[in-house]
Amino acid sequence: MPFARRRLAATFALSLLAAPALAQTPDPARTLVVAVPSDAAGLEPGANRAEPIGSEVILNVFDTLVAWTPPDFAALEGRLATRWTVSPDGKSFEFELRDGVTFHDGTAFDAAAVKFSLERTKAMNPFAQASFNLISDIAVVSPRVVRIVLKEPYPAFLSILAQPQSAIVSPAAVAKHGDQFAVNPVGTGPFVFRARQADTNIVLEANRTYFRGAPKVDRLVYRIIPNASTRRLELENGGIDIIQQAGQLAAIPAETIQALRNNRNVAIIEVPSQIIRQLEFNNKKTTGPFADLRVRRAVMHAIDYDGLLQGVFGNTADRVYGPLTSNSWAFNPKIRELAPKYDPAQAKRLLAEAGVRPGSLTVPLYTFQGALWGAVATFVQANLADVGINVTIQQTEFPALRALHTSGNFDLALDGRQPWYNDPDAHITIGYLSSLADTAMTFRFPQDEALDAAILKAQQTVSMDERKALYFKLQEDILARAPGAFLFSPKLIVFARANVRGLVINSAPPLTEYWSVSKQ
Amino acid sequence: MRFVAGRLAALVPVLALVLAIVFLLVRAIPGDPAVVLLGPGATQAQIAALRDQLRLDLPAPLQFLEYVAALARGDLGTSLKTGEPVLREILLRLPATIELTVLATIAAVLVGIPLGVVCATRANGPLDHMLRLVSLVGVSVPAFLLALVLQLVFASWLGWLPVSGRTSALALDPPITGFAVFDALLRGDGAAARGALAHLVLPCAVLAAFLAATLGRYVRNSMLETLGEDFVRTARAKGMARVRVVYVHALRNALLPAVTVIGLKSAEMLGGAILTETIFAWPGIGRYMFEAIRNRDFPVIQGTTLVFALIYVTTSLVVDLIHGALDPRVRKRLR
Repeated sequence: MPFARRRLAATFALSLLAAPALAQTPDPARTLVVAVPSDAAGLEPGANRAEPIGSEVILNVFDTLVAWTPPDFAALEGRLATRWTVSPDGKSFEFELRDGVTFHDGTAFDAAAVKFSLERTKAMNPFAQASFNLISDIAVVSPRVVRIVLKEPYPAFLSILAQPQSAIVSPAAVAKHGDQFAVNPVGTGPFVFRARQADTNIVLEANRTYFRGAPKVDRLVYRIIPNASTRRLELENGGIDIIQQAGQLAAIPAETIQALRNNRNVAIIEVPSQIIRQLEFNNKKTTGPFADLRVRRAVMHAIDYDGLLQGVFGNTADRVYGPLTSNSWAFNPKIRELAPKYDPAQAKRLLAEAGVRPGSLTVPLYTFQGALWGAVATFVQANLADVGINVTIQQTEFPALRALHTSGNFDLALDGRQPWYNDPDAHITIGYLSSLADTAMTFRFPQDEALDAAILKAQQTVSMDERKALYFKLQEDILARAPGAFLFSPKLIVFARANVRGLVINSAPPLTEYWSVSKQ
Repeated sequence: MRFVAGRLAALVPVLALVLAIVFLLVRAIPGDPAVVLLGPGATQAQIAALRDQLRLDLPAPLQFLEYVAALARGDLGTSLKTGEPVLREILLRLPATIELTVLATIAAVLVGIPLGVVCATRANGPLDHMLRLVSLVGVSVPAFLLALVLQLVFASWLGWLPVSGRTSALALDPPITGFAVFDALLRGDGAAARGALAHLVLPCAVLAAFLAATLGRYVRNSMLETLGEDFVRTARAKGMARVRVVYVHALRNALLPAVTVIGLKSAEMLGGAILTETIFAWPGIGRYMFEAIRNRDFPVIQGTTLVFALIYVTTSLVVDLIHGALDPRVRKRLR
């Protein structure tokens, strides 16, 4: 026994000195390491709730029928579909599918897989229910043609089909793995799922037979690093190649960006986003000071928008003027003029007209936790103090603020919206449709038949030109109701080692594809 | 033996009480997990349906009874965020935390006790003053600052150690036991074992610093007290070697309070592990609990609290037993 124990100890000691197992060591030059702040909630397209990390991994392992075309992501291109037609009534979408594509498990991709995948998401995903419940029928016309029929016209449906919830899964793999498919995801995408360790990493390997050509790296490793300064040190040290966009409520401090700008080994990629951050009123409330349109407009005039961008963000955010960001195809340029400008004198006049004496109004301002939200809240607090409104800042956790919001128990809050699909519908319908007022992330608009009808009309109109005109008018109508002060739109900022090539950042939503990325 | 059985039986009501308190607390903090789960645009009807499915609308005592009944079957529930069984998720992460805290405790003991002895035997000398200053820093510097400084110096500037993580980012081997160093040794992969050890150094140092410094101060004080006692003077008068007097006679007596400190503080280390694990991207149970609180993942918060409480009470039981081994008077009382 003592001898056996000694031998075991000797084996351990020897193995400490032994050379690495060569077969398992991948080439670091062909391995791309991406740092993300938290682990993916899951890699199951059917259950995806637009959680950013899991969504991105899904889009690198699976394909969708269509996708937004880089580098400007303004038009859709075919992926698993080669072409598609939409019926004149906007209800029927017919897709011609790519030939010769196989899933990572070797089974063939066909129309039946499309039907299977979309019906699966419809059945198992409460998050995407509102969109997927519009589907009345999915018909396999032939192995290469699939037709999706909606209950009512919905042009943004193509945009939904580009999202991870619409990724096409291998029916054979689902049958094989059952409820374990989430840990054994099988798609047709540029990368094949290899391994995952909870809170540590997700490892993908190049799909050598990918229909668009093999990826330029052999391996893609997502490393989960929750601490921002650790991520930065790892990047500076070369331990990681890319720092992904932080969570949608976080932002990178301006000093960090400046410090990394001075580092020759680091490249900074900045693109405008479609995220909107606002100081919002509880628009559904019929009593209290902010029920008066003049008081709401006064608040909108009290904010020094450019000062906020300069002072708090060091220009890492863009101006927002109304319900849509300036980079949206439906943005109405007239909104730039119509939006209330920084004018404390005008704000004071409006408050006086509404009978609000300076210093007589004290309200809590609710917002999220974090230094950045604290800084924005402090800035807003100072602006409002200048016109005689006292604000007490209440920073609270995300779930607590959501609860406060849905219960309507607040007057003023700093909040934000990030569309989960690329269409103005994502901002306008969820933000302002009165029937959704009590749900999360809305402006809590009161019932207004004319506005509701206009929102639904814009959502369902088939002609792009007509839709655009309808959204132009909607932006003016919504702004006229003074729903809140539209504060800023943070840029999407990604840090990469200088030797990383071919990285293109998608603006809405910010999900990156690594198929085209290489290391020099 | 009867003592141990008695103590183990006493654990049950303690754990039940902890569970009940946590159960009520997580439901008292504002934030509806159903709202968090469903995301934007979810209607009130969808939220209500999910609350019903998660049985959140039941009266709290009924929910608690259901939870305890499931617990008796070894079922800690499923995570609201990932849909995976909580027990499995905890077991996946527990080895990482155990590896870190156990090694940190050993490191703290190896540094803290000699530190205290050296200070006591050179009381009020220049070395004593210097070491006491170091231990004061160790007690008072916040963990996140110490972590950042160590990362900067040893990982960034000197390049001796990795910045974060538990193994090399390129390592792919699935865990066997979950203990990274041990697994690498089992596989006979020396490089991976060395890599895993290197990854342990900085987080261990951060976690150990506070305990080592606290321990050093306790041992110094109790050593000083013991060194002034009659039996020490007698031993010296009989001509016993100084080393033997200090390390055998005095230290054994001086260690009694130190054992209590080690026990309590190493259990408290689990709390410190939350921060250390976050900074060093260490996939342990502390970080898991922190994320769960942010996501209002009730079953995970309850499950991790239960594990923490279990570790805490077990540690204090072990401390009592060690006390008995070190002190015959305690042993007699225990009998």
